[in-house]
Formats: sequence, C-alpha cells, structure tokens
Amino acid sequence: MTAAGPAPPSLGRRLTSSEDGVAVLALALFALLPVVVSGYSIYILPQYMLHGVMAMSLALLWGRGGVLSFGQAGFYALGAYTMGLCYRWVPLVNPAYAGMLIAFAVGGLLAAVLGYFLFRAGVRSAYFVLVTLAVSIIAEQVAVSQSQITGGWNGMYIDRMSLTLGDAVNVSLFDDAPMYYFVLVVVVAVYACLRWLAHAKFGKVLVGIRENEDRVLSLGFDVSAYKTATFAIAGALSTFAGALYGTHAGFVAPSLGGVLFSTEVVVWVAIGGRSSLLGAFLAAIGVSFLSNYLSALIPAYWPLILGMLFLAVIIFFRGGVAGALARWTRQPATRSAGNG
Amino acid sequence: MSSTAISLVTDATLLTLTLALASLGLAVVFGLIGVINMGHGAMLTLGAYFMWASIRAGIPFAPAAVLAAAGVALIGLALEHFILRHFYDRPFDTLLITWGFFLVTTEIIKLVFGTSFRDVPSPLPEAFDLGFQRVPAYRAALAAFTLTLLLGIAFVFYRTNLGIKIRALVQNREMASLLGLNIAATYKLVFVSGSFLAGLAGALIAPMFSVHPYMGMDFLVRSFFVVIVGGIGQILGGTLVGSFLIGGAETFFAQFSTQTFAQTVVFALAIIVLRFRPEGLLTPRSGQ
Repeated sequence: MTAAGPAPPSLGRRLTSSEDGVAVLALALFALLPVVVSGYSIYILPQYMLHGVMAMSLALLWGRGGVLSFGQAGFYALGAYTMGLCYRWVPLVNPAYAGMLIAFAVGGLLAAVLGYFLFRAGVRSAYFVLVTLAVSIIAEQVAVSQSQITGGWNGMYIDRMSLTLGDAVNVSLFDDAPMYYFVLVVVVAVYACLRWLAHAKFGKVLVGIRENEDRVLSLGFDVSAYKTATFAIAGALSTFAGALYGTHAGFVAPSLGGVLFSTEVVVWVAIGGRSSLLGAFLAAIGVSFLSNYLSALIPAYWPLILGMLFLAVIIFFRGGVAGALARWTRQPATRSAGNG
Repeated sequence: MSSTAISLVTDATLLTLTLALASLGLAVVFGLIGVINMGHGAMLTLGAYFMWASIRAGIPFAPAAVLAAAGVALIGLALEHFILRHFYDRPFDTLLITWGFFLVTTEIIKLVFGTSFRDVPSPLPEAFDLGFQRVPAYRAALAAFTLTLLLGIAFVFYRTNLGIKIRALVQNREMASLLGLNIAATYKLVFVSGSFLAGLAGALIAPMFSVHPYMGMDFLVRSFFVVIVGGIGQILGGTLVGSFLIGGAETFFAQFSTQTFAQTVVFALAIIVLRFRPEGLLTPRSGQ
C-alpha cells in the first residue's frame, strides 16, 4: 500500500503507480467483457465475482486487522439460504430485495454478536481461527440437519431475481448479461466502499492493531470494538454476497458453508495478497476459473497444486501476488515499507 | 441406577478415552511448544491409512500400529526440519503452514490410496458381557491402552530427566536455553513425539471407523476443543477432563437428538468455555 507521504499524490500519479489504476483497468475490462465474449463465461463470472466479494471481506479482516477467519463461507451459505427462504416466505415485496437486506443485517448482526462475545474477552487470534472453523462446521451441520427448512443434503432451489421499482419497473435478470452487469455494479460499489474504509482512519487503526495491538490499545483505541466492527462488516458483506450467489446459481447445498470451501477462501486471499483488496478479488476469480477449468483437465492434481501454491505463498511470499508486484514496481528507496 | 444410565456412562467413558487418544498428539505439540497444529487431523488420517496398508501387507496388528505411527513421525520430522522450525517465533504462520500441510497431505492420500472407504479389521471383533451391557472388546481394550499411554506420558513428563527439560522449556524458554538446554532439539523431539502419537491414534482408531481421506477432519476441531477446554499444557488431567467434557456432553446430548445436533451444541458450549476460561478449566487462574 502507499505509505502515506507528506503530500498526497495527484490523481494521475495515483492511477499509474498504485492499485487504483489496476482496479480501474480491471473493472473496465470486466465491463467490456460481455461485448466480446458470450456464453458460459458470462454466466459463470458473476458467481466468481461474488466469491471475490467474500474474498475482499476476508482481505479487510485478515490483511488489515490481522484477524483470520476460517468461517467466511459459513456466512456466504447463510446468505444463500436466506435468499431462498425469502423467496419462499416473503410474498409481498420483491423477495430478492428482502433477501439482500435481511442477509446483510443477519450476517452483520451474527458476526457482531460473535465478535463482541470473543474479542471483548481478548480471545487470541489463533483461538479465533478455531472458533470460526467450528462456526463453518456448525453452519454445514445445521444446513444438513434442519432438512425440513433447508432441504438437507438435497439442497434448496432459488429463483433468479428481478429488479423492480413499484409496478412501473420490472427488469428480469434471468438472462446472463443483465445479471452480469448487476453483479458488476454491486462489486464496484463494494470495492469502492472497502477501499475508502481501508484508507480512512478506521483502516489505519486496523493496520496498527495488526502490527502492534498493545501499542494501539495504549494509545486509547478500543481495540476490541475495532475488531468486532471489522468482523461484523466482513460477515455482513459475505452474507450479502452469498444471497446474490444463491439467486444467481439458483441452488444452494450445505457444502457451500463447509470447512473446505471456507478455507479455499483463505487460499485465494493468501495467493492474491492478503493486504490487497483487489488482489484478493482477482485471485478469487482467477483461482475459481482455473479450478473449474483444470478440475476437468487434471481433476486429481489440481487441489494438490493449489495446496502447494498456498504453502509456497505462506513460506516464501507472505504478500502474495499483489505484495510481490508492489515490491517489484516500487522504488528501491521505499521498498522497505513492506507488506505485512 | 437404571440400565440406560449405566450404558450412558459406559458410552461416555469409552468416547472420552477415544477422544483423549485422538487428542494426545495435539495436546503434546500445542501444549508444550505452542504450535497450533492444524495438520493434526491429516496425521490421524495418515496413521489410519498406514495401518490399513501394513495390515494388508500381512503385518500383525501391534507391529503394524507402531509402524504406522513411526511413518507419521517421520513425516512430522520432515515437516519440522524443513519448514516449521524456521517459523517458531511466528505462531500464526505455523498455523497456516500446518493447514497447508493438511491440504497437501489430504490430496496426496487421495492420489495414493484413492477416495473410497477402507476398512481395517478389528483384532478383537467379539464383545463381552458386563452383565448389564455388552461392550465391544476392542473399544474396551483401547480405553485401557489409552489410560496406560497417558500414565506413561505422565511418567516421562514428571519423573525423567527429559521431562524436566521439556517442562523447563515450557516455563521459560530463554532461561532454559541460557542454562544449556538445546532448544532446537527439544522442539524437534516434542513435535516428532506429537506426530508419533497422532499417527498411533489414527492407526488404533482405524478399526472403529471407516478409513477415508477426511476422517481426521472430524477429530481436528474436537481435539482442539479438548485441549483448550482441558487447559493448554495440562497433558494428563487436561486431556482427560477436556475429553470427558466434550465426549461426555456429546453422548449426553445425543440421547435427546441426533449425533450431528449434539456435536453442534457441544461446539457452541466449547466456544463459551473458551470465552470465559481461555486458559482452560484446569489451569489455575493467574491474578487479574
């Protein structure tokens, strides 16, 4: 990240030298893609972008706050089930709106309660990982065992959403391209918000907590409140993204919230670069795409390669791809201001 | 006492000791050198598969179990020597590395042994009658073995020179090193012992469960909760108390609902214990 110098760099310089430029370029490419490509890629990409939103939420939590969660997919699955239940139980308004709102609120609230409960007592970050691991196991088990609501192993079918505004407007997102653009708009909005948050005072305090929790505490900041808030934001975003994923995929099964998918998110973020929102986002899309492609081509070896890649990143390149790129493009003089 | 209550107690005792066996390796590694070994589950699975392969190769039960445990210990030694020992001062990275070890090992197991379920035949297939309940002989023998193993570890820990060294290391690493203790070698020994115990546990529980690539996963979180609830570093009492609370509660709640639901409730309870006694139930509270 840009180590804050005495004067903020101009917009032009920021676009060419930092992550912002790459972000604008990448998102512009995503916006142009349906013009050039059609078919399966346009169908599947929104799902990967929503995975990417979950990855960004983890990048905020882990990369900024130093709090690792093995349970983000639990929230994601909660969102998808919430969306499905809204289609079943909310007949009056547009069920998709209700689903998105309720998912956001429920996910945020749940994470806030869990975070408050644990961080207030000063539970160590390693224990927090174990608790979130248990959370994702609980999420999967609840989804399996409450089969009269969730459909158990058989999963739950969910309708594709429409955009409505009163009786006047009704845009069906049933086709791939409109859904693609809707998800893209959501992604841009989430990225913008998270980027702002990360560079605001909030994000700086978070980095401080990651680097030296005791010092930030002694400076008078309420560390546990910051951690709780971050976990709540990450939980709300993951659940919200999960709700959209549910209506896009049309189906949700318990394994979406399970341990294996939860830790896959950690693998994406580690590879992309835990301190880079964009890196996490692009890695989620890239690895998901590769997984889809290679698991048809070399089904037995791909998860092994991914696991080894994860190990290599943790051992040799803690900053992931984004960290390596930032180090490579940066001036040698500022190279020491490193990634965490 | 009604016969339901007696069978409940028997079930809880057997599950407690099975859990204690499965958690021992983790209790040693996590409790003594503070490595959060997320690869513990994979080590159990490896032990079970090595057991299956050894039995198939015609090796008798007991030597096969020792061989399986030694194989896992060797893998643990490689992991420690080539990777982990460089990260002891960054505990959070050891957590991630051992998780990566879990991911890679699970995939290699799938490649080598396949994904279908394997069975290790029980050496004691009969059950004996206690008068009020029939107990599978193998589970009972395993429970007795677990108790012996715990006592043996306690003996090493509290009555030998090596035990004194390890306890010194746990109490004060710098001071122990200044007094001439070889810290690196002791860490290595503890990690390899933990791997051996995990492999042994995997080999010995294999006859009671189907052997499949994710079997250790079921034990990973439970083992961590056993160690944390019991108290980190409380190898003997902590592991027993933790196993009793986790396993006993699971048996108890399973009476009223399904096994899955019982496990969910127990995890939730363990999180609450973790919140209020993060140092475990057996560790004396330090003055706050």
